[in-house]
Amino acid sequence: MAVSNHDIKEQVKELIYNTCIHLDDHQWEAWHDSCADNFNYAIRAFSPEIQADIKYHGGDKGYMQSITSMLGKHNSDQSPLRRHCVVYRIDVAEDGKSATSISSLTVHQTQLDGNNSHVDAGTTSVFLVGRYNDKFVVDGDSVKFEDREVRLDTRRLDKGTHWPI
Amino acid sequence: MSSRNQTEWNSIPPNLQQGEWVDSQVYSDEAIFEDEMKNIWSKTWIPVCHESELKEAYAFRTMTIAREPVIVVRGKDMVVRAFLNVCPHRGNRIERRPSGNYKGGTPSGTPKTMTCMFHAWSFDMKGKCVNISRKEEGYQDRLCESEMGLRELKCEVYFGGFVWVSLNDDIGMTVEEFAGGSLDVLAPSLNEEPLEVFHYHKAIIPCNYKLWHDTNCEFYHDYLHYHNRITGFNDAYFARKNSGFDGGHINVGSFEVRYDNYEGSHSREELSFPHLPPNHWHMIDMFPGVNFNLRGSALRCDLMTPLGPNSVMIEFRGLGLASDSEKDRQTRIDHHNSIWGPFGRNLHEDLLAVTGQGNSMHPMAESRKILHGRHENETIHDENGMRHYYEEWGRLLDRSPSNPDEKFKPYPVFKQQAAQRAEAETADAAGK
Repeated sequence: MAVSNHDIKEQVKELIYNTCIHLDDHQWEAWHDSCADNFNYAIRAFSPEIQADIKYHGGDKGYMQSITSMLGKHNSDQSPLRRHCVVYRIDVAEDGKSATSISSLTVHQTQLDGNNSHVDAGTTSVFLVGRYNDKFVVDGDSVKFEDREVRLDTRRLDKGTHWPI
Repeated sequence: MSSRNQTEWNSIPPNLQQGEWVDSQVYSDEAIFEDEMKNIWSKTWIPVCHESELKEAYAFRTMTIAREPVIVVRGKDMVVRAFLNVCPHRGNRIERRPSGNYKGGTPSGTPKTMTCMFHAWSFDMKGKCVNISRKEEGYQDRLCESEMGLRELKCEVYFGGFVWVSLNDDIGMTVEEFAGGSLDVLAPSLNEEPLEVFHYHKAIIPCNYKLWHDTNCEFYHDYLHYHNRITGFNDAYFARKNSGFDGGHINVGSFEVRYDNYEGSHSREELSFPHLPPNHWHMIDMFPGVNFNLRGSALRCDLMTPLGPNSVMIEFRGLGLASDSEKDRQTRIDHHNSIWGPFGRNLHEDLLAVTGQGNSMHPMAESRKILHGRHENETIHDENGMRHYYEEWGRLLDRSPSNPDEKFKPYPVFKQQAAQRAEAETADAAGK
């Protein structure tokens, strides 16, 4: 039996929200598992300074797997990031085999060791604001990410982060 | 002796000499910071943007130098000029946007003019005042446009298309003279064909600007970077020379980076900048706070804007060749950002480290002795780059870096370095 558009939209929504939990909790493998083999990831922003669209970060599934597997070898700000995401819109293709979505995104950072931990640890601030522009491949009951663009409004990222958003 | 009490902590190891440490006041003292604004940042050449950010006539970019608002515009004649971004009428900032183009006009102004929105005074791209609104009614014949031009600043486009500006009308030297030969090593690669900015982001970090410059000047901190250790640490890496040039500038010599050693990373050979051997990596650190960093396929440029003794804005640009195909450009961007973007492997680590220094050397902290004392035949982990910088810093401010309350003294270690530079120059000349 064909899956209805309504059911696909529910699956897409569930996938986006579950992925927020995976990313918040550094469950990188779970995130990679939710992505199709031809998955592509990019963090982008428009820079009014140089009047150009900029890709800050990204790559294919293999690349994202590589960099997340090596996080332990790097010195990183371990201040947790928490995503607040609201799915605004989901469009399912006529053939029911793909879908796209737009979600609003705010990421909060709660200081741990990035500044003076004695003073700042526990302080929460907005790390970035943007959108998830996602594409999905739908195969029966299975929905996977095919493409994720994190489109940032925030362009002053100060120390930045090693973690995917 | 293992750990130390306060007296011991504040004492200097007897075998180190002045010039091999700086007092941390240089990173935190408000009066020193004001001295730097007045006697260094207001006096010298500062690169402020790249000409590719001003491609068309009437394009502009805004920025600040030593807290002064600056605007850079490309005229109808395609010449790039710089002005104080300040209206001579009531001192308002004329242009508020970071960039744009005056071809289309503004809400208060006619096309092809810079117009102050406050009272609609207008200026052409050469800084000439072309309109004082209701002039006769208000000023009768006491004031005219020819007396109200913008303050023009010294401006040069030099070294691969970077736009350099100085607030100092009496600077008395070109950018080339200011560079003192420090840019020569990369000039063939950057001047061969036009470059284009493909990346821009900025960071405001709670540390003194010189701490960022120090980090760019010394590679001993590569212990911080897994990427650099795994792709770098070998005999050729440790043989890289750190060379000083007149004016406090330095170069870091090149070697072949083994990008393949980092999982997910690949050789950059196919997209090497002109005249650069495959996968080579050169660095130039210019006084007082500029960095040019060419890693094979991508050029990074850091421009610093000091905001206070314990705050600096760093603008990070990435550049490729203007002639790049879309595919090549994308590859260069990936090469650049994998290390140097805000989500890259190295930049985040560097910024974490200087944030930690800023935490420890804030304006109210006790002064500490910060060591710049490594000597390794002026190679990559020698700290001669920092010593060379602080010699120039001390000379310009007439303060001793090791004790900034005292007047500058040419410490013996500085004289030794000068002698080594002279010897190296003589050897180079003989080799040629």
